[in-house]
Amino acid sequence: MKKILLLALSFILLANLINAQTYKTRDGYVYFNPNKDLTHKDYEASSKEGTAIFKVETSDVAFLVPMKTFHFNNALLEEHFNENYLESNKYPDARFAGKLIGFNKDQLTKDGVYHFSSEGKVTMHGVTKDFKAPVKLEVKGKTATFYCNFKIKAEDHNIGIPGLVKPKLADLTPIDATIKFQLN
Amino acid sequence: MKKILVYLIVTFCFMLKAFAQDDLLNDLVKDDAAKVKKNIATATFKSTRIINMQSVEMTGKGNLEFMISHRFGSVWKDGKGWGNVAQLFGLNAGAANTYMSFDYSFTNWMNVGFAATGNSKYETWTKFKLLRQQSGAKNIPITVSLFSSASFDGTEGPSPNDFAWNRFSFINQLLVARKFNENFSLQLTPSYIHYNYVPYGINNTNNIFSLGIGGRYKITHKTAISFEYSRQLNGYKNLLDETASAVNYVPDLFSLGYDWDTGGHIFQFFFTSSSAATNIAQLTTNTNEVRLGNFSLGFNLNRSYGIKRVVKTQ
Repeated sequence: MKKILLLALSFILLANLINAQTYKTRDGYVYFNPNKDLTHKDYEASSKEGTAIFKVETSDVAFLVPMKTFHFNNALLEEHFNENYLESNKYPDARFAGKLIGFNKDQLTKDGVYHFSSEGKVTMHGVTKDFKAPVKLEVKGKTATFYCNFKIKAEDHNIGIPGLVKPKLADLTPIDATIKFQLN
Repeated sequence: MKKILVYLIVTFCFMLKAFAQDDLLNDLVKDDAAKVKKNIATATFKSTRIINMQSVEMTGKGNLEFMISHRFGSVWKDGKGWGNVAQLFGLNAGAANTYMSFDYSFTNWMNVGFAATGNSKYETWTKFKLLRQQSGAKNIPITVSLFSSASFDGTEGPSPNDFAWNRFSFINQLLVARKFNENFSLQLTPSYIHYNYVPYGINNTNNIFSLGIGGRYKITHKTAISFEYSRQLNGYKNLLDETASAVNYVPDLFSLGYDWDTGGHIFQFFFTSSSAATNIAQLTTNTNEVRLGNFSLGFNLNRSYGIKRVVKTQ
């Protein structure tokens, strides 16, 4: 019995060690355009400074983007975004922690495009919400790029939008995230 | 006993699994925190002006800012009594100075502007951001900008004084500001003003110096109260003008303001002891003593347009 226990224990430890295959990247890109009419570019913004970590064996992912790295076409909007609406000094980043559902580690070794979904929690402006969205994975040689388009409701995250602007904006803000990992 | 042990180990392992996602996020946060960051202080002031005086702020890259500014007559003129009420505290006094300006920023650190200041006077300027207040990789406690402007007086005058070069005057200001916290910012403004032409006479000087201080305190996200005070250091007492009559200017300029950021516009309402609109006239040829009756109402209205797409798409 003791031997079995020891064996089980060492197996679990070993499994955990193998599990430790993780990838990290600083090549995370996020873009959003909250306009109702997407041809209008006045409220769009993007950040190229997202960081992500990806644990292959468990399909766990975490993603973080500092709010102040978002840049707008109009500097005044950027200031308002940080000062009035997202309160970037108080809540410096947006975070996602979750799992890839339907991801298979063999997909990383073969070039191609794969579709699955991701589930987890998004924290933004101090509010955590459940998150579920489809994910596209593109593997090309030594790079794996995750694409995720999802929608967020500003009200859900306690982000008040002024009445004057509201009619111009869509109820749900579509967000594009692109995360590129270098495999080794 | 053993069963309990196995059970414990198994549950422990499951617990590890359950925490895995949060661990991953914590790793990321730790990584991110370890990275040396540049925390640049933004929005030291709401507008490119504190009230009358320039602030360290400038229009963002690729942005065109339009400002229209109005200064009305004195709120309470001596001897007019209740007539001042009929004149709506200077709004109807018939002596309003209008100032219209355009600002454009080519980069994050350089900005050019042009203004029609009313009374046939025009100014053009460049503003440079020399230092940005920041913490992190570098620790810089203050923001420093340089404001340099040339002003042209197009009013009709007796010859030969309207020789074009005589109509120019220049101002150079070093704007030194610190954002002490989210709400409170303070700025120190030493200025050097040069007139190409001044009437002959005792005490007249081409070079005038002044020192100003200004600040703002944010009440809410969108509103703030502001003040400024400036003192002319030389060349204001017992001057002689072209007709050899004595002129005395008031060296002090004092203003109190209220900033209101509506989202698209920034309104600045203020009480100021100067009714002049140009940067130079405010600091050098002020004739209003700092007294309640001499204060006039005014406002600046700012609107900024993003005319160049700076958002990067993939």
